[in-house]
Amino acid sequence: MKEPESTLELPLLDPKPAATGKKVVPLPGRAKQPPPATTDKQQPRSLWYALYLPQLAELAEKLQQQHLEQLALLATDVSSSISFHSCSLIFEIRSSLRYFGGINSLHELLAPRIAEQLQDWSLEPQFHYAASPTVTGSLLLARGGRNLLVYHRDNLRSALGRLPTDVLELNREQRRRLYNMGVRRLRDLWRLPTDGLRKRFGSNFVNQLHRALGERPEPQKYYQPPPAFSSSYDLPCEVENVQLLLPVLEEFLAQLVDFLRRRDLSTSRLQVSLVHERQSSTDIALGLRQPSRCQHHLLQLLEIHFNNLVIPAPVVTLKIQVIRFDAYLGESGELLQGSGKNNTGHERLDLFMEQLQARVGEQPIRKIGSIAEHCPEYATPQQDPLLTARQSRKRRHTHNPRPFWLLPEPQVLKVQNGKLYHHRPLRILSGPERIETRWWSGIDIRRDYYVAQEKNGSRLWIYREKSGERRWFLHGIFA
Amino acid sequence: MTTTNQLSGIHQKPRKHVGPGPDTGTIDRLLAHNPVLWRGCDMSGRGDHGQTTGYAQLDDILPGRGWPRNAIVEIVSRQWGMGELQLLVPLMREVIRQGKWILWISPPYLLNSPALLQAGIDPEQVLVINLDTSCKDALWGMEKALQTESCGLVLAWQNWLPDKVVRRLQLAAETGETLGVLFQHRISKYSQSSLRLEIKDFRGQAEIVVLKARGNFRPLSVQLNLYQENLPLQHPGRYDSV
Repeated sequence: MKEPESTLELPLLDPKPAATGKKVVPLPGRAKQPPPATTDKQQPRSLWYALYLPQLAELAEKLQQQHLEQLALLATDVSSSISFHSCSLIFEIRSSLRYFGGINSLHELLAPRIAEQLQDWSLEPQFHYAASPTVTGSLLLARGGRNLLVYHRDNLRSALGRLPTDVLELNREQRRRLYNMGVRRLRDLWRLPTDGLRKRFGSNFVNQLHRALGERPEPQKYYQPPPAFSSSYDLPCEVENVQLLLPVLEEFLAQLVDFLRRRDLSTSRLQVSLVHERQSSTDIALGLRQPSRCQHHLLQLLEIHFNNLVIPAPVVTLKIQVIRFDAYLGESGELLQGSGKNNTGHERLDLFMEQLQARVGEQPIRKIGSIAEHCPEYATPQQDPLLTARQSRKRRHTHNPRPFWLLPEPQVLKVQNGKLYHHRPLRILSGPERIETRWWSGIDIRRDYYVAQEKNGSRLWIYREKSGERRWFLHGIFA
Repeated sequence: MTTTNQLSGIHQKPRKHVGPGPDTGTIDRLLAHNPVLWRGCDMSGRGDHGQTTGYAQLDDILPGRGWPRNAIVEIVSRQWGMGELQLLVPLMREVIRQGKWILWISPPYLLNSPALLQAGIDPEQVLVINLDTSCKDALWGMEKALQTESCGLVLAWQNWLPDKVVRRLQLAAETGETLGVLFQHRISKYSQSSLRLEIKDFRGQAEIVVLKARGNFRPLSVQLNLYQENLPLQHPGRYDSV
């Protein structure tokens, strides 16, 4: 029973490619499996929906890409294979047509959202769209501004034929040549021999036409939405002791590490939230100096956080979220034992800093920078250790005495009976050293610095203003 | 000579006194290999296990001729700025040369990088933790830092610490092979640290008094000139009378 059916099918499907003018010469060995049959079976498989947004062309390339990515996020609701082209987005919708109940309802769902998004960026809300069985075909139709829907590949040739040649990706020379040849529309091209076209316009041009008609495969690079990881767990009962949450966290971290390993990623910023009833949740931000996906390490850091955590109310739900993903850098073992000793030292320090950060937060940890600057207040920036921009080694420094300690604000010194007092009377040991700088910034600094010694006490760095009230100030302490 | 323990009766065996004196060779070997052992009076110059302070006169009065390794040193001064950092400059320079880090925990003022550069200390290898609120966190950080090998020196300003804490820090320093320095204002009666110095002013010079040292029970002191005096200034201004 089955054999006649299959033979019946073949003649029915065979004439179609012949009608489009394509000559199929069956290979002698494969006569029983004609390739046209398979291509025709594939034909209803995909339908590509193209969005063409000419208003994006005026924007900078980077911004254009950003906008397209945001639009792609909207399109992820209707399709899983989305690809980018210049000023346009293309996504496959055949697989989701039935779910959305036809292309019209799908379009009605999508169009207002896109228009709204475009208005948000204060761009024109109009856009062109088209759908056809080939990517290039849809793209050309959308560029032509026809807002057409072509279901069958057979109709593609006539639908595309009406478009002007401007929709093709051409350079100026090609455009001029086409115009001189009297080719105005695509259907004029259909009538020309392929070999000649290839000779005159190059294979890219011919391939573009073939792809539009579905005669060549069109490999696409699909958009992948950025990774996101968040997980939450409702505890079976209210928990007051945070230490009891650690096993749940361990489970979370196992999931997270698995997630990261599959995507070859690691993380450097995590957030764990403890949700309380009728209270705002307690958030723990975990920052790592080096991205990691080591479960043990992450758990250890969380433990440190939990050790000095005070919660305002019992915990009902636990949430974890990755704030930042980083590429995973694998470790390579060392060839000679002990050759990487320095390196492990640094890793230890990183580990220590991470633990410290987990305990005291990021704010108190500071690195000392040094700037070639005459004014003492500005010579030592307090830097964030995470921004470890290494400075040049060659730094010139003054040979005049400089104290280890600087006061946050210079402190006015008393003068009594012609003598300087801090806590006790001061005796000037050396000086003055004049510092005049910053006149360009509005705060004119003109000072004479001296080294002074307190009676029975410390050695101080003091200065006298050269202008204004000519007061004496204590600025630093030699320690 | 026979000793009997009347209370428990365990040591029934008579202990023999061997020879005319103890075997000095064995003791020396033990002292050399075991850092936990030290002589009550080690000033004979035999022990050389310390790290030089950079000041020969000070080395002379310290057991082991220098700073102890893997320990806590307490430096007491009535106020900050008595030359306590100047005293440590040669040590800091050595730590930097070894490629290790110096951690400053809650320093009383802002650290001035030109002074560090002058002293030959690379500010790149200096880390400051400003913890003015929580003493507990500072101690936790100090303990962790002492256990971290790449930290060569930990300087902490903590005015009052209970004995137990100092003991704990001392143990941490021993495991991490790091020297920790505590700066204090007042002298507590008893301390667990292995070295304790006081800096006083003595006619414009710094007088360093050894309050306590493992391996020395005599009170010793030395006067040092920590600052190089009367350096000609590079760009002198005109002296202005007060």
